[in-house]
Amino acid sequence: MRRYTASRSRRESTVHRRTSTAGDVQVSMLPDLSEMRTNEETAWEEIMQIKAMPIPMSQKKEMKAKILNEPNLRLQGYEQFKWRRRKMWGQFESRLRESLHKVELWKGALKHIEGYYGTGVVTFFLFLKWLFVLNLVMFLFIFLFITLPTILLDLDKNTYCSESNSTSCCFEKYFNETLPQNNIVLDLVQGTGILERTVLFYGFYSSEVLSYMAADVTMYYNLPLAYISAKGFKERLVEGEGQFYQYCNLIFGGWDFCIQEEKAANMKHKAIYSEIKAILETEKLEEERQSRTRNEWYKIVFSRVVVNIIVVAILGACACGIYFVFNYSTAQLETFQTNSTEITTSESFQQLLYEFLPSMTIVGLNIVVPFLFKYLIAFEKYSPIIEIRFTLIRTVFLRLASLIVLYASLLSKLSCDIENDNLSCIKCDSVPTCWETFVGQQIFKLLLTDFGTHIVITFVINFIRSLLAKHIDNKFIKFIGDQTFDLPKHALDIVYTQTLCWFGMFYAPLLSLMATIIFLLLFYIKKFACLVNCTPSPIIYRASRSNSMFMVVLLVSYVFAILPIAYSVSELTPVEVITAGFAIPVFIVLLLLLYYYSAVNSANRHMVVVLKNQLVLEGHDKQFLLDRLSLFIKQENQKRLRAEQLREGIEILNLVSKSTSYICGSSDF
Amino acid sequence: MGQGKSQFSEDELQDYQDLTYFTKKEVLYAHQKFKALAPEKVGHNKNAKLPMSKLLQYPELSVNPFGERICKIFSSSQDDMMSVFSQMAPKSVKAEHAFRIFDFDGDDMLGASDLKQVISKLTGENKLTESEMNWLIQNILEEADLDDDGALSFAEFEHIIDRSSDFLSTFRIRL
Repeated sequence: MRRYTASRSRRESTVHRRTSTAGDVQVSMLPDLSEMRTNEETAWEEIMQIKAMPIPMSQKKEMKAKILNEPNLRLQGYEQFKWRRRKMWGQFESRLRESLHKVELWKGALKHIEGYYGTGVVTFFLFLKWLFVLNLVMFLFIFLFITLPTILLDLDKNTYCSESNSTSCCFEKYFNETLPQNNIVLDLVQGTGILERTVLFYGFYSSEVLSYMAADVTMYYNLPLAYISAKGFKERLVEGEGQFYQYCNLIFGGWDFCIQEEKAANMKHKAIYSEIKAILETEKLEEERQSRTRNEWYKIVFSRVVVNIIVVAILGACACGIYFVFNYSTAQLETFQTNSTEITTSESFQQLLYEFLPSMTIVGLNIVVPFLFKYLIAFEKYSPIIEIRFTLIRTVFLRLASLIVLYASLLSKLSCDIENDNLSCIKCDSVPTCWETFVGQQIFKLLLTDFGTHIVITFVINFIRSLLAKHIDNKFIKFIGDQTFDLPKHALDIVYTQTLCWFGMFYAPLLSLMATIIFLLLFYIKKFACLVNCTPSPIIYRASRSNSMFMVVLLVSYVFAILPIAYSVSELTPVEVITAGFAIPVFIVLLLLLYYYSAVNSANRHMVVVLKNQLVLEGHDKQFLLDRLSLFIKQENQKRLRAEQLREGIEILNLVSKSTSYICGSSDF
Repeated sequence: MGQGKSQFSEDELQDYQDLTYFTKKEVLYAHQKFKALAPEKVGHNKNAKLPMSKLLQYPELSVNPFGERICKIFSSSQDDMMSVFSQMAPKSVKAEHAFRIFDFDGDDMLGASDLKQVISKLTGENKLTESEMNWLIQNILEEADLDDDGALSFAEFEHIIDRSSDFLSTFRIRL
């Protein structure tokens, strides 16, 4: 409330400022300066305050000169030192900002995109950049604290291999067994051979380092989570408040002042128009919904239930498909391994195909199934916003579920083999030595396939589509070729890549490096997709809302990525027990933290509603009181008027009576 | 940069750095852009006043439906304009200027007629019908007009801007 009045009084002062002439302005601006300013520091602060005044530059300059010309007290001793330091710090800050600004990554590209597509799409690219930096930082940490010590401590590896069933022994054997035999390109793609023995994978690290690593990696997992959860919820909070000002936000924050392209501006006009229409439409739908008959209601509920069952069935089918494909391909690989002593090129190609079959299936399903979802949701008759949200949630589920199925099938295979042999590292038939490395390889492959698909889809398929749409004037081809930048889909793409990275980071610590490189390249791929392939979208993507959406999706996928790892670490501990004891409590604490944040969030929201209502009431009260006051004043005036009139009347009467009596008296006489 | 530097003395640059939200380099860069609009005019006199038609050639302003309003508001002090739109300017300063831009009739209140103009500028060629427009304005006032006087005062406008999550990111022109 105090704030409110403060800003109001400021307003009044600006009103006053504006109505007065230019010469008066300075006088009215500088009423109390002489008494306030006592030393250099306050003078400087005042100059800083001039910044915020809405007056022309020339006046600002005059004011600054005036302040500087007046005699200042010099600060003494420590005060002087403090003030100097403060000023220096300020200068240093601005200089630092300037140089940082100069080296800012992708500045030109971002501005370019902003000019074409507005701030909503730019948030996506900023998010991409943020993920890039996040991975870089994680990589640096992991490299410094895990990989580097391992390389440096490389010498005393052999000393630990006295007992046969420890992991330290495992990689000893492992190194001897996995001899490089295929050609290098295949190895690079599959993550086998030479690469398998590098620092990229878990198998390289000795058990000692691993015990540190477990603790460290959990820390690195916590690092982003804490950030994401805090940021995500903060933005949801802001967004929640924004809901109260839906219309004002649209009107006053609607135009994107960054837009500089004629075409984009036209698109923006259209987008705002359709947004207004959409709000109108939703309002109407809302009314319609309230007046829906019971019969119609049943119908819609029925169709929703059916669609949901179908969706679940599709998800189940996908899961089964992935499981079978995985089993099939591993079975095929086994036959290859048992049969072959000499590998011909065609066979090795086949082998490569089988190696990649599971990941290709997953990526393929990720592309095809969302179209099905999009088709199905039309039957459910949701409002457009909810429609987008539901499709997104379902797609997220699909992607994460497919990952988990892959993981589960990996584990089921591994655990059964381990049980059979009772030893974790002896190679029986086809069980990969060091199952952690094997899992790491799978994820490595998946990441690579996913990345490859991005390249192919963007540069080949979509590019050809957009070329067709641009150069051939045909309705059908336009229908196929025209693409808009589908923000949720692209966001999901990069979140998926990040999830894979988190998922595999435990098994292949340097996957973060790979993710960093992938994100670096993805920026250019997505920029190409955005600027070359697509036309501006008729849907408004709000900067704030889309950002919070990214964060929420990232959070969900993060939890999904961490769950199986927490499980496997606790259940399938290789040798060391430290990890299990460590991971579970940490996870519980994190969950509690999440709960706490959401509780605070809802409480704050409620508070905002209450306060806003109070504000409205307050306004009404004021209005009412003012009305009463003016009424009262009016009545008072009337009363006084009447009293005066009455008095006058009485006086006149008196006069009249006097005069009549006088007249009468005189006549009597 | 060398050419730009010759037009400003060190003191002037210091003034600009102290009084706007820019650093010295950014001031020079902004001036370069300003110069690019009319090279021969600004080359002679760095404080040259350009006609609105010239200024509206600035890419961000040319497509902005409020371009003319912005020019009018800042006409007496256009060297200040880019600073207000910079990322460093605080919300309150931006709100102050935004209010003036939206206040078409200059009565220090955003009344129904102001809102109507703002909306019609925003939608451009696509026109809303009369009833839709009225309905929209009514909704805006319902939302934000806390004292029920049928217009938005600056305090109410600032209140909205405080809550508006998009305003800061959209009311901005990158140098």
